[in-house]
Amino acid sequence: MTVEGIVLVVLFAATLVVFGFVVRMLIRTLLLGKPQGGFGDPLRRFWSVIVHVAGQARVLSQPAGLGHFLIFWGFIFITLGTIEHMLGMIIPGFSYTAIFGSAVAGWISLLQDLLALLVLFAIIYSLYRRFIIRPVRLKIDDPAARNEAVFILSLIFILILLMYCIKAIGIVEGTIDESYAPVSRIVSGLFEGRDIDLGLMESVFAWIHHLIIFFFLLYVPFSKHIHILGAIPNIYLRNLGPMGTLSRMDFEDETADKFGNSELRDFTWKQLLDLYACTECGRCQAACPAFLTDKPLSPFRMIHRMRGHLTDERKRLLNSAGDDIEGTPIIPETVTEDEIWACTTCGACMQECPPFIEHVQKIVDLRRYLVMTESRFPSEMQPVFKNMEVNYNPWSMGYSTRADWAEGLDIPLASEKKEFDVLFWVGCSGSFDARGQNISRALSSLLKKAEVDFAILGTEEICCGETARRMGNEYLAQTLIEANIETMKKYSFNRILTFCPHGLNTFRVEYPQFGFERPVIHHSEFLLELVREGRLPAGAVEIKKGAYHDSCYLGRYNDIIDQPRELIKMIDGVSLSEFGRHGKRSFCCGAGGGRMWMEEDIGKRINEERVDESLELGVGDIFTACPFCLTMFEDGLKSRNIENIKVLDIAELMVEAYSAE
Amino acid sequence: MKIIVLLKRVPDTEAKILINQEGTGIRKDGVKFVINTYDEYGIEEGLKLKEKLGGDSKVTVFCLGPEESTEVIRTALAMGADDAVHICDPALESPAPFTTSAVLAKAIKDEGFDIIFCGKQGIDDDTAQVQGGIAEALGIPQVNIASSFELSEDGSRALIGRRIEGGNEKIESALPVIVTCDKGINEPRYASLPGIMKAKKKEIRTRTLADLGFDEMPAAGRSKILKWLPLPKGGECRMVEAEEVSDAVKELARLLREEAKII
Amino acid sequence: MAKDVLVFGELRGGKVKKVIKELIAAGKIITDGNGGSIDAVLIGSGAEKEAEKIKSLGLRKIAVIDEEILANYSTEGYAGALAGMIKEEGFGYILLGATAMGRDLGPRTAAKADGVMFSDCVELRFEEGKLIARRPVYSGKLSIEIAAEGDYPVFVTIRPNNISPAETGGDSTEIVSRPSGVTQEMIRAIAKEIVPLAGGRPDVSEADVIISGGRAMKDAANFKILEDLADLFGGAVGASRAAVDARFAEQPLQVGQTGKVVNPKLYIACGISGAIQHLAGMRTSKVIVAINKDPNAPIFEKAHYGIVGDLFEIVPILTEEIKKLLN
Repeated sequence: MTVEGIVLVVLFAATLVVFGFVVRMLIRTLLLGKPQGGFGDPLRRFWSVIVHVAGQARVLSQPAGLGHFLIFWGFIFITLGTIEHMLGMIIPGFSYTAIFGSAVAGWISLLQDLLALLVLFAIIYSLYRRFIIRPVRLKIDDPAARNEAVFILSLIFILILLMYCIKAIGIVEGTIDESYAPVSRIVSGLFEGRDIDLGLMESVFAWIHHLIIFFFLLYVPFSKHIHILGAIPNIYLRNLGPMGTLSRMDFEDETADKFGNSELRDFTWKQLLDLYACTECGRCQAACPAFLTDKPLSPFRMIHRMRGHLTDERKRLLNSAGDDIEGTPIIPETVTEDEIWACTTCGACMQECPPFIEHVQKIVDLRRYLVMTESRFPSEMQPVFKNMEVNYNPWSMGYSTRADWAEGLDIPLASEKKEFDVLFWVGCSGSFDARGQNISRALSSLLKKAEVDFAILGTEEICCGETARRMGNEYLAQTLIEANIETMKKYSFNRILTFCPHGLNTFRVEYPQFGFERPVIHHSEFLLELVREGRLPAGAVEIKKGAYHDSCYLGRYNDIIDQPRELIKMIDGVSLSEFGRHGKRSFCCGAGGGRMWMEEDIGKRINEERVDESLELGVGDIFTACPFCLTMFEDGLKSRNIENIKVLDIAELMVEAYSAE
Repeated sequence: MKIIVLLKRVPDTEAKILINQEGTGIRKDGVKFVINTYDEYGIEEGLKLKEKLGGDSKVTVFCLGPEESTEVIRTALAMGADDAVHICDPALESPAPFTTSAVLAKAIKDEGFDIIFCGKQGIDDDTAQVQGGIAEALGIPQVNIASSFELSEDGSRALIGRRIEGGNEKIESALPVIVTCDKGINEPRYASLPGIMKAKKKEIRTRTLADLGFDEMPAAGRSKILKWLPLPKGGECRMVEAEEVSDAVKELARLLREEAKII
Repeated sequence: MAKDVLVFGELRGGKVKKVIKELIAAGKIITDGNGGSIDAVLIGSGAEKEAEKIKSLGLRKIAVIDEEILANYSTEGYAGALAGMIKEEGFGYILLGATAMGRDLGPRTAAKADGVMFSDCVELRFEEGKLIARRPVYSGKLSIEIAAEGDYPVFVTIRPNNISPAETGGDSTEIVSRPSGVTQEMIRAIAKEIVPLAGGRPDVSEADVIISGGRAMKDAANFKILEDLADLFGGAVGASRAAVDARFAEQPLQVGQTGKVVNPKLYIACGISGAIQHLAGMRTSKVIVAINKDPNAPIFEKAHYGIVGDLFEIVPILTEEIKKLLN
């Protein structure tokens, strides 16, 4: 081994040791969090890593993702070259050609050569985007974050230039086959026939290159490029279950004086790993209805600041033995109350996030602490909680009037029927809101027309708990959920039908946490089924143009996207247009996460943003499949003084289709 | 300071109140019972005062009512009251207002008190008599329908605001005093979960008439309910119509005066 | 049992309140059925002068108590004076208006005089030797008819505007001045001052009458017509969320789930469709009047009285009509 090789080995070993300590420190930091399990199904997880790490599926879902894809793969091939070069320095005569043969080595070299060029372009384009285009998603109020991105991009840029130079010198010296290095060959023109010590130069370039790599290895864990370390495990460990599922809290311990999360150690280690996984790509922010309407919330800035907070805290927390040291509260220094209350829990951030960070759960965990432990929340939420406690609905309507909408309609009650096929869950909107009641009447008339064997719970039904849960009042939510489960267990039925996507999601995903599992079907799916089976005619309306608005909890959360559209298309006379943002990438109406019952004083109203979109596109009427969305659209249209655009639930549209016949 | 808060268990404001089949009272089934809305303001005012004074100030809740009242007492304890006295005796099933006053006054006297807060009236029978009776029995001043409250700087007097027609009356009272609270005096807090958990362990002292030293129920004038009457209106909106708008409006004004008796 | 009736004449700002005529009429219901006479008592500064105004209403005697110490209302002072008079002169029935003062004074005096009390009555009749009173309970969801048990003086507070006032007529009544026997030490809570409402209108959450406007008000300036109507009652002006969003009204005026929750005696909704978020804030109002051009607006489902039409036409006429009735 040469002296150079020995120095390199020593340096490399030292770097590895330091890196090892850093990784150990990172892991110890993660373990400050609470335990979390449930990471079974390794095959699916490996496949997910292949799709989302190797395939960069989510990254590529936006055109700008190509840059990252190129940098990612370019870097891997450059690293292959780096490894070859280093080994060559350590073991005289080592090369890929010697090991794999010239064909394989040639291909590696060729890919490396070409990809590196693309990476250069990608880096230039990235800088252009950051400084000239400045898209919404890259906006960040922390200048250090941007400088960091620029620094790292520049380092990679330099690494590539060095690589080309090293290879070019190799070509001049005849150690590298120029036919597999087209770009390097062009660069080799710089060195050809010059009166310099090429060997020394190559050695200098190589040392600079390798030292940068070592530096990189140690710098990465302390920069936003920690995502290189965090994203892969985070993708492997990602939530494979339904999106946005909230954890079930345990209230058994009556001596507890704290509920919900106030500091970093209250989160699970996987939630902390999320912080390492963030690339600060800003896709979440570009999709966030709160951010896009000038609210203080940006999902990635929240993660960015929480990671900063974790860095500040870890030294103190790791050096202390045990739990006796107080953690610094996250609110209000790191994350503000306005931020966490701005979230509609629409899930657009999580849908876009390439390394599968879960923002919404963190926000709800923070809400839980404020609501349950501190009783600190926007004042308009208190009547909502109290109304839910006393009258089991958010509006203070007397609970005994819950089934008043059904009076005189001869709608069967579960308490009378006991056994039936479908339990029609009416929901609070359907029971009390004038427009919601209209949907309830429309849907029950359709069920009767199709001779469905159904029943409602009547005054036995109480609020499903979804809103309370997302507002952070887990205790209240569990009270409601448990009471509903007890009621439903009294009857024998096959499935739950609801026209409220919030209820749908909570029955589907959250009630099983409490030991109640029953198939849940949305009215758009059910009505489509009835029409397809010929139990309901498709009907026809007078020519009507309109667009279907995807509710977040229906489309994004539960993947019910095509069914309502198919149902609408079956009605003669309806011409269906589309919003720009639709399907999984639909834009929230502004009502989720309890925002329906809160004032929206900051920025533009989310519902007005959505209504403006519909007006700009001239989509015509609005068809909805969620009572909250319907209310938000009607309010938004009113505030824009639009009277000629109608907002209709799909059940109402169907009823109209029959009455026009 | 010994702060006393009185509370009553009443049907929720939103409850459908129906007369029972015998016509002797209301149907209790399907009626949700809660803390009397105005008493919640009293609890909050008591807690605020305790927090302001600090030291060994203490808020004790007094409730006279059936066994089920423990539920609303726990709510008050969850909000932060320190302990509670529950006066529960089969003889007190539907006491005359001044009997209630006499019993509560005795219990409060036994406990010792510096100030008493409660709501301006119970939203069930709406009599607003008990507090006057307590004040009289204890021989202390009363300030009804308070919309603001504070202690004077030396802590010796209560400064109370009261809404009256066209303005706010500023009242100064010696202590002890009974203050009955109106909407607007404060925003009652939402009990925190640790508060709810702690409330489960706080002491509720149950007292019967005998415990309080009464050989028999204290006598007082009472009214007997002869008849329960539903309201004449069936909830339908009366649409006022006429050929001329002005006639319709005239008719509306007449109805508001003669039927609704509001003008 | 004593048969005579005592009517309490409430003075505010040195003027006797007009409810006294209704109380005298109520007293006549008792004396017509039971015999006995009706006396009145006026306490406070200006009592003597005001007594003149009720001289010809068929009373037996008007007692006036006008002492320095009782110049302004205090619960203890007035209750002491009133209870003293009742004990000395032996009245069987004591009638007060169900006003802020009457509702404060009544129970305390009743407790002092060992009486029984009927609060907030809307109707009285005398039957089979008993005074029967009707009064609303459960916030007006039901009413009950009650009668006294045992031999106690009966105190009754009567809601204004429910009994037709007594007509002028009959001989002039004797006015006698009475010592109260109240001493300074007896009064421990006293009104120091009255601060008039800032801006002249009460807060929307505290007002007895609220006139609210919605998006159909079209402009902030148009709220003037609602203010004119509200001022007739000393009431407040409210607004729906849509009207606040459109900046026709300020946020503190907002009535609804996310604004103020109100339960006034009278709520007039002008151009408010009645979205659930609004209904949640005003549904429990005693009397709801809806004015809306859309006959299908949900507000009519919760209203007690409704008019379909243009609010800009209706509201000014209503103001004029109510002005006539109030005078």
